[in-house]
Amino acid sequence: MSEKKMIYLQPIPVRIWHWINALGIITLIVSGTQIRFPEYITILGSYRTAIQIHDAAGLIVAVFFSLWLVYYKMVRNTLDKLYIPDGEDLRHGIMRQLLFYCFWYFLGKPSPYHATPNGKFNPMQKSAYLAVMFVLLPLVALTGILLMNVTPLRVLILMSGGIKIIDTLHFLSACSLLAFLCTHVYLATLGSTPLAYIKPMIFGWEEVEDHQEQPDQEETVLPGYRPVRHYPEYHAAPSELKDH
Amino acid sequence: MKAATQHLRFRLLMTLALGALACIRPAAGQDGPGYSYGNQTGKNETCLACHGNASLVKGGFFIDQTRFAHTTHARIGCPACHDAVSKGHSDKNRTPRANCQQCHGDISGEYAASIHAKKASCTGCHNPHKVETPREISGQQINQICSRCHDRYQMSAKHGEWLPQSELHLQMLPCITCHTGSKNYFISMYIVSNKGASQFGKPEVTGYNELKKLAGGGNILSLIDSNGDNYVSLAELRNFNRNPDHKFLRLQGMMTPETVTHKFEILDSRRNCTFCHASGPGSMQTSFIALPEKNGTFRRVAVEKGAVLDALYGTPDFYMMGSTKNNSLNGVGLALICGGLIMPVCHGFLRFLTRNNRRKKEHQS
Repeated sequence: MSEKKMIYLQPIPVRIWHWINALGIITLIVSGTQIRFPEYITILGSYRTAIQIHDAAGLIVAVFFSLWLVYYKMVRNTLDKLYIPDGEDLRHGIMRQLLFYCFWYFLGKPSPYHATPNGKFNPMQKSAYLAVMFVLLPLVALTGILLMNVTPLRVLILMSGGIKIIDTLHFLSACSLLAFLCTHVYLATLGSTPLAYIKPMIFGWEEVEDHQEQPDQEETVLPGYRPVRHYPEYHAAPSELKDH
Repeated sequence: MKAATQHLRFRLLMTLALGALACIRPAAGQDGPGYSYGNQTGKNETCLACHGNASLVKGGFFIDQTRFAHTTHARIGCPACHDAVSKGHSDKNRTPRANCQQCHGDISGEYAASIHAKKASCTGCHNPHKVETPREISGQQINQICSRCHDRYQMSAKHGEWLPQSELHLQMLPCITCHTGSKNYFISMYIVSNKGASQFGKPEVTGYNELKKLAGGGNILSLIDSNGDNYVSLAELRNFNRNPDHKFLRLQGMMTPETVTHKFEILDSRRNCTFCHASGPGSMQTSFIALPEKNGTFRRVAVEKGAVLDALYGTPDFYMMGSTKNNSLNGVGLALICGGLIMPVCHGFLRFLTRNNRRKKEHQS
C-alpha cells in the first residue's frame, strides 16, 4: 500500500543549468548544421551570423558545464554518487533497467528504480550521463575551443594530429550528443504521465509513491544499494545482497 | 635626332624580343620548369659581369643571376630596357629605363584604374630582375610583398571588424585570393617545417636546399612522389603525412586564384563567407603541391583529385568549414543520429500498441 508524496528532486541551480544547457545545445545543433551545410541551410541568416551564434552558444554551454561541475563536486559533493555506477548497478542494475525499458514497461509495470534526491538516476541513466557529461561534452567543448582559436592554439592542434582530426572529433561527438538528445527527450516522457519526469526539472518537485520501506536505513546498511520497491521478485533481502 | 634614333633602336629590340617570345610561347604554357624561359643570358653577360657580382655593386644595383636568369626580362636582355647606357654610367649618369607600360600596356591600364595606382608604382611590388609569374611565387611571398605597405597587425584588426578569425585568414590565404576577381581557385600546398625543427616553432615554407638534404641529394619531389611519375596520388599524400621520418614537415594549403588581375578590388562578394565556405566539394577538388626550385621559384606538381576532402590524412592541416567536409564522415554522423532515433521510434511504436496495459495498472492502483 502506498501514498503519494512530493520530494524535492532538482534544486534551482541544477534546473537553471539544465535549461540553459538545453537551449544552448539546440542552438549549437542548428547553427552547427548551417556551418557544415551552408548550401542547404540558411536558417540563421548569413554564415557569419551562424558562426557568431555557434561560438557564443558554445562558450555559454562550456562555462555552464564548468559551473555544473563545481556545483556538484564542490558545493553538493554528490557528483561521484550521482554519476558513477556502483558495483550493484553494474552487476544487476543496468540489466534490470534495460529489461524494464524493453519488456516490463510494455506490460504496465512501473520502473524498478525510484529516484531520491541523492540518487536521482537509475543505473542506465548513470552510465549514459557518465559518458555524456564526462566524455562527450568535454570533448565537444575542448575541440570547439580549439576550432575557435586556430591561430593562438596552433601548437595544441598540431599536437592533436592536425585540424582535420580536431574537426572530425568535434563533428562526431556533436552527432553522438544529438543521438543522445533524441533518446534523452523520449525517455523523459516515460514517467507515470508523459510530463511526470519533466515537471521536476521545471518546478523542482516530483510526485512519488510513499512506500512502507525505509530506504535511508537500507542505504546506511548497504551503501550504494538502490532498493527496488515495486517488484517483489527483485527486492532481495539485505542478507542476500551481502553475499554479492 | 638622337632621341629619335634611340627610340627606333628600342622598338627594333622590342620587336625582336617579342618575336622570340612568340616562338617559345607553347612551352611556356605548361606546368613545371618548362614554364620559365630558361637561362639565355648571352646578351646580358657584359652587364652582369659587374651587376651580378655582389662585391662590385651594392644594394639595388646587384642582380641575383639565378633569380634573373629564368625571367622573361633576362630573355629579352638588358638593352631592351636599358638602352644607350653611357660608359661612365656607374659613376654619375642615371641609366635609362624602359617604362613598364611599353610592354605591359594592358596590365598598366588595369592597374592605373585601381586604388593602388596612386600609392605604388610597378616596381613597388615587382622587382624587374626577379619578376615571377603567379605560379612561380608562393602565397606567403605574395603576402610579404603586400606587407611592405600593409602592416600585418593593422590589417588583422581591420579585417577583424567583420571577418571571424581574421588572423587565421590572413595567414592562410594570399591577399589576392580575395582582392582579385578570379573565377576559379585551386588549393596550393606548400611543404612547411617548424622553425628550429621544434614542435612549437613557427611554420615556414621549407627551402630547396633543406628539402634536397632531406631527399638525400636526389629529386625533392621523391619525398612525396614515391613512384616518380611526377604526379601525387592520394596514397602517396597519406604516406607523406603519416611518415614519422617527416615529423616536422607538413603540408600547408592555401586557396589560390587561378587568374590574377591588377585591379586589387575590394569585392563585396568576398565579404560573404559562403563565397569560399559553401562552394562545396566541386571547387575543392583541384590541388597542387608547390615545390621550391633551385632558382627560388616554385613549380606545380598535380595532385589526385579529392586530396583536401580526404577525411583525415590527405591534408591534416587544411580544413575549410563548409567546403572541405568529407561525405563519408557525414554518413557516419548521420548513422550516429539515426542510432539515437532507433530507440524513441521503436519504443514509441510498441508503447502506443501496449498503452492499454498501462491504463489497466493505473485503474488497479
